[in-house]
Amino acid sequence: MIENFLAGSAALFGDPFTIGIFVFGVVGGMLFGAIPGVSMLTLAAILLPFTASLEPAQGVMLFAVIYCTGTYGGAITAILFNIPGSAENAPTAFDGYPMTQKGQSGKAVGAAVLCSAIGGIASALVMMAATEPLANWAIRNIGPPEIFALVFFGLVVASSVGARTIWKGWMSVLIGLLIATIGQDPVGGINRYNFGMTDLAAGIAFIPAILGFFAVSEIFVQAEKKASGKYQAPKVSMTFPSFIELWMHKIAVLRSILVGFFCGILPGIGATLAAFMSYGEAVRWSKNPEEFGKGKLEGVISAETANNAATGAAMIPLLALGLPGGALTAMMVAVFQMHDLQPGPLVFMLSPDLIWIVFAAMFYANLSILIIGVLETKTILNLLKIPFQFLAPLILMLATTGAYIGRGLVLDVMVMFLAGIIGYLLRRSGFSIPAIVLGLILGKIGEQNFAQGMQMVHYDLGTYLSRPICAILIAAGVITLASNIYRAFTSIKTNA
Amino acid sequence: MRNIIGTAALCAAMMAAGSAFAFECKRGEASFDKPGGFPERALTMIVPYGPAGGSGQVAAAMAEAVTELTGIPINRDHKPGGSGTVGMTAYMAAPPDGYNVLEHIDDASSAHALDSSMPNPAEDLIPLVVSQVTFSQVYIRTNETRFSDWPSFVEWVKAQNGKATIANVSKEGSMERVTMGFITDASDMKIQQISFDKGAPRYGALLGGQVDALFEQPGDVRNFLDADQFKPILTIFDERPAAFADTPTHREMGMDFDPLLRFRGFYVHADAPTDRVEWLKWAFQRGYCEDSYQAFNESKFMTVIDSYRDTNGAKDLIARSIEQYREVYNAMGLDVK
Repeated sequence: MIENFLAGSAALFGDPFTIGIFVFGVVGGMLFGAIPGVSMLTLAAILLPFTASLEPAQGVMLFAVIYCTGTYGGAITAILFNIPGSAENAPTAFDGYPMTQKGQSGKAVGAAVLCSAIGGIASALVMMAATEPLANWAIRNIGPPEIFALVFFGLVVASSVGARTIWKGWMSVLIGLLIATIGQDPVGGINRYNFGMTDLAAGIAFIPAILGFFAVSEIFVQAEKKASGKYQAPKVSMTFPSFIELWMHKIAVLRSILVGFFCGILPGIGATLAAFMSYGEAVRWSKNPEEFGKGKLEGVISAETANNAATGAAMIPLLALGLPGGALTAMMVAVFQMHDLQPGPLVFMLSPDLIWIVFAAMFYANLSILIIGVLETKTILNLLKIPFQFLAPLILMLATTGAYIGRGLVLDVMVMFLAGIIGYLLRRSGFSIPAIVLGLILGKIGEQNFAQGMQMVHYDLGTYLSRPICAILIAAGVITLASNIYRAFTSIKTNA
Repeated sequence: MRNIIGTAALCAAMMAAGSAFAFECKRGEASFDKPGGFPERALTMIVPYGPAGGSGQVAAAMAEAVTELTGIPINRDHKPGGSGTVGMTAYMAAPPDGYNVLEHIDDASSAHALDSSMPNPAEDLIPLVVSQVTFSQVYIRTNETRFSDWPSFVEWVKAQNGKATIANVSKEGSMERVTMGFITDASDMKIQQISFDKGAPRYGALLGGQVDALFEQPGDVRNFLDADQFKPILTIFDERPAAFADTPTHREMGMDFDPLLRFRGFYVHADAPTDRVEWLKWAFQRGYCEDSYQAFNESKFMTVIDSYRDTNGAKDLIARSIEQYREVYNAMGLDVK
């Protein structure tokens, strides 16, 4: 493995043009990941035709690098402005933005930089060591019933994040799940709650909803404070997390790498579920779960470690089996095909050089996050010095563009503002915005896999629960739910 | 070794077929005067699916080929969702000035067959070219031990009393569900269809043994065929394509129905100025003949059967598909509007 890695590194850095492509991918991924609305997918779609004129290894490597740095890029705007660059950065905003409000932006961004790099590097190393056996294990043991059970578990665990009471947390999750049912049902393709509007048949897109619930509702909240004279500009802090602080979170980092890797390896799931699941696990294992959603460093660490850990993992089913884990890896299949190559077992036999250049590039791309992230952070944090009256319209303009640009639908802009208004009102009432977004995103994945799973077991719940991994996850979810309810009742009695 | 020889033979057959089509192509007019300077700016191509899927890829390949030929850039605007209805609605609302073109698949025909208020691709639109036509197949794992061919598969499925599973995109009224309906009726068997809307989980389900079989088009699973992981046991087409000479057709297996084909093409609004439509027809039909597009189609198994339909050929294909779908929907008791 080490010889192959060194050979891949030599090939990567032995040619100035290849180095140029690598640097372009690193910087482009970070930029496109950070700007809401456009994403690493936008950049990848633009670049796809041009990869035909590159060497196969250069083309695939470029996309792999964009995948690594693009996943990290969205964390910065999520932390500083409550604008997640993409869905996988949404959990980063849960605690990252409250940290900014508390004057700990440097700490949050520093943790995001470091943990993204650690998560990505760790998964790149595992990817190099065990791509084929891991991919084969995953497709044989994890099917729709297991993915649904995973989603159920994640929803239960993270339901109380940021809510005033457990009941409001669950109400928030249910609102998210309800919104997720808008559009065609994932199995039969039957329209639901679209009221005859064709555009709604496609459902509520994640990005406009996230922008509305997070960014727009936040602007309303801050505007209200400004109007009532209670507004306080967030303090700009350049203090990075200390080594001791990070060392205290070593278990969270390790856990997040495992969760991120596990979610990333599942075909069609990827980094979004990884970030949400990891965040949920952080809440579950914490001695002070009530502190999450209010600016806890561990929240940022868990989300950012996991979403980058998912990047290396998502390459495993792609390279070993030809199964892309998400849209960007699906585009990588197109890059392979443009050069008359097919990802899958044969590529290891026929193009080992290509594979090891890609592996090496992903390793160094994650390392670059650390270097470039530290360098850029000091500059980016100064954005917080912009006065609110200038910053708010700028964010609104950016968010509106971001909401529209994804699908070019005015509906998405309307959804964003509606989500902003609803989010603003619900926040005042103690409901949890993270839990709504959690319900919305996991609801779609969960419903689809539940329906597929039920079809696979012929609508027999007994057979469903006879699958060991599925049964364990559902049992763990039910126990957690029962314990939460018990705690809620106990707390009511204590308060009474 | 068997796999490599098989793959080589397959590629040779495809390349031979591809070369023949390319030769026919080059006999068309090599240039076409721009009517009144049209187009004097970039065209916009609305694609009702994401950039990574089959439609996104064919749109990119055709846009590249047309740009190579004419020098006119084409901006692709992806509007996914609602099984193509979001993109179609957006396209119908765009100015019919010839600057906006649409990529769409046979779903537009089946949607119109089910609900006539949806645009008819042969009447409300003008097909510029249909550039991909393909058939479906049923696949099993190559290392499958419970059955090895279509007769043994049917026998095994019947023994499971409806508990056997097949992965496909089984949305209401879809080509996949309708065709599976034909197959199960003709074979007198029951099989549970599991609907996966994305390719990767669908193929992973077969590879990992989560389902027993897969319904798909060959171009979409080419890497699994090349890697000898999937094996076709039934071709749903009237004759055996040379590339799949060892796989029986549904008719040979005693199933008497007309196969529904998957096709992807490019359209312009029926109200677009006639002279502009003629130029677009030339550009897209010649674009099909560009080497880059031919290479793309070959890589996707799209030269195994004749993938090309000009405007009239496309209209015939669409009209027949709509008629066929409508008959099926009525027979299925669906609410045909």
